Amino acid sequence: MTDDERGEHGAHGGVTPGQYYEHGLPYLPLDRYPGRIIAIEGTDGVGRSTQIRLLREWLEVLGYGVAETGWTRSRLMQPTIELAKASNTLNKLTFVLLYACDFADRLEKEIIPALKAGFIVLADRYIYTAMARAGVRGVDSQWVRRMYGFAIAPHLVFYLKIDADALARRVLEAGGMAYWEAGMDMKSGHDIYDNFRAYQRLLLKEYGAMADEFGFRVLDGRKPVTVIQDELRRQIGEFLEADAVAPVRP
Amino acid sequence: MFITEWNSSALVKAATKAGKKKNALTPMTFSLLHATDFADRLLYKIIPPLKAGMIVLADRYAYTAFARDVARGVDRQWVRDLYSFAVRPNLSVYFRVPIEVSLDRLLARRVKLKFYEAGMDMGWSSNPTESFRRFQSLVLDEYDQIVVEHDLRVIDASRSITEQQRVFRRVVSENLEVSL
Repeated sequence: MTDDERGEHGAHGGVTPGQYYEHGLPYLPLDRYPGRIIAIEGTDGVGRSTQIRLLREWLEVLGYGVAETGWTRSRLMQPTIELAKASNTLNKLTFVLLYACDFADRLEKEIIPALKAGFIVLADRYIYTAMARAGVRGVDSQWVRRMYGFAIAPHLVFYLKIDADALARRVLEAGGMAYWEAGMDMKSGHDIYDNFRAYQRLLLKEYGAMADEFGFRVLDGRKPVTVIQDELRRQIGEFLEADAVAPVRP
Repeated sequence: MFITEWNSSALVKAATKAGKKKNALTPMTFSLLHATDFADRLLYKIIPPLKAGMIVLADRYAYTAFARDVARGVDRQWVRDLYSFAVRPNLSVYFRVPIEVSLDRLLARRVKLKFYEAGMDMGWSSNPTESFRRFQSLVLDEYDQIVVEHDLRVIDASRSITEQQRVFRRVVSENLEVSL
């Protein structure tokens, strides 16, 4: 892609799904792989994992091969990221770069092989979470976007939207607020509840700003699990139906 | 004065070590891990002494990544954008040596060529010496471009250490005089 084609706006939203956003991996050219990437985005505690588990069951019953990939789950980086979080040695740049490294490892070792094999890749968060967190911490947004230029544009991105108050209640019911979910590294105060709400509010603003840019399909995350799941299935079903090159089915 | 070395931050050491041991790094994760290491050192080890008015001697800088990552197949512009958070050095010196000289020096010291240093991860040759020659010549080609692009001062590293040091000191003093 040339600079002209990329343009100033819609740079990322305008990319063909299944292709690199920008400067990709020259040593791994993408060749119209039969697989599809469906990403579920949303902040901590909004219910992504539950929705993904249910989607997986449904897709498998329909006969699709399904692969899952989740944030910070790479074998290479998971121990380092956990260590770094525990020892509180992350600064805003290393925070962003460690996540990018985790993503790169999963992209090359999980996502691309699954796409080649014709699987549907269900991504529990994608690069947008990294962008939102970087944005909140004041990292240059153009720099982050260019760095993630090696990511493959998903075929569908669902964003489970929720407000900070509903989220706070939900997270408290589920067992409490964690240090990083409350953005405590940003050192804005000692009250975890206030920090959680303030931090999540900023995050939600970042996600909201990305919705148009990256073509998110926004769903109301406050609705019951089954209602959200039905909506996801309806939209994914429509997409797969209309898709010319359907993923492998036996 | 403060000295900082490539690939030395405690944060990234564990992952780099694990990845290198299992030969599990791809060109991209190799690149990003080293950038993380660099960012860690930049914020904790390079910027503070600079603010204190000290001279920071950096044993390799972002240019090493530009040369090496691109030789591995990472996009040339991408890696430059990646390091755009780096502080531009006041003086960058490149010790240039022909591939055969560096091979002779390494082999004379009977050091075993390291897996990644020899570019063995590229799978071009199972012979470390052959792989080193091929990989490092790509690295040297990249450096030649970087010298022009980022205005690096070149010192002929095939000469004696005394001679190199004499030139190096002259180049550094000139730079200090200009900036003082």
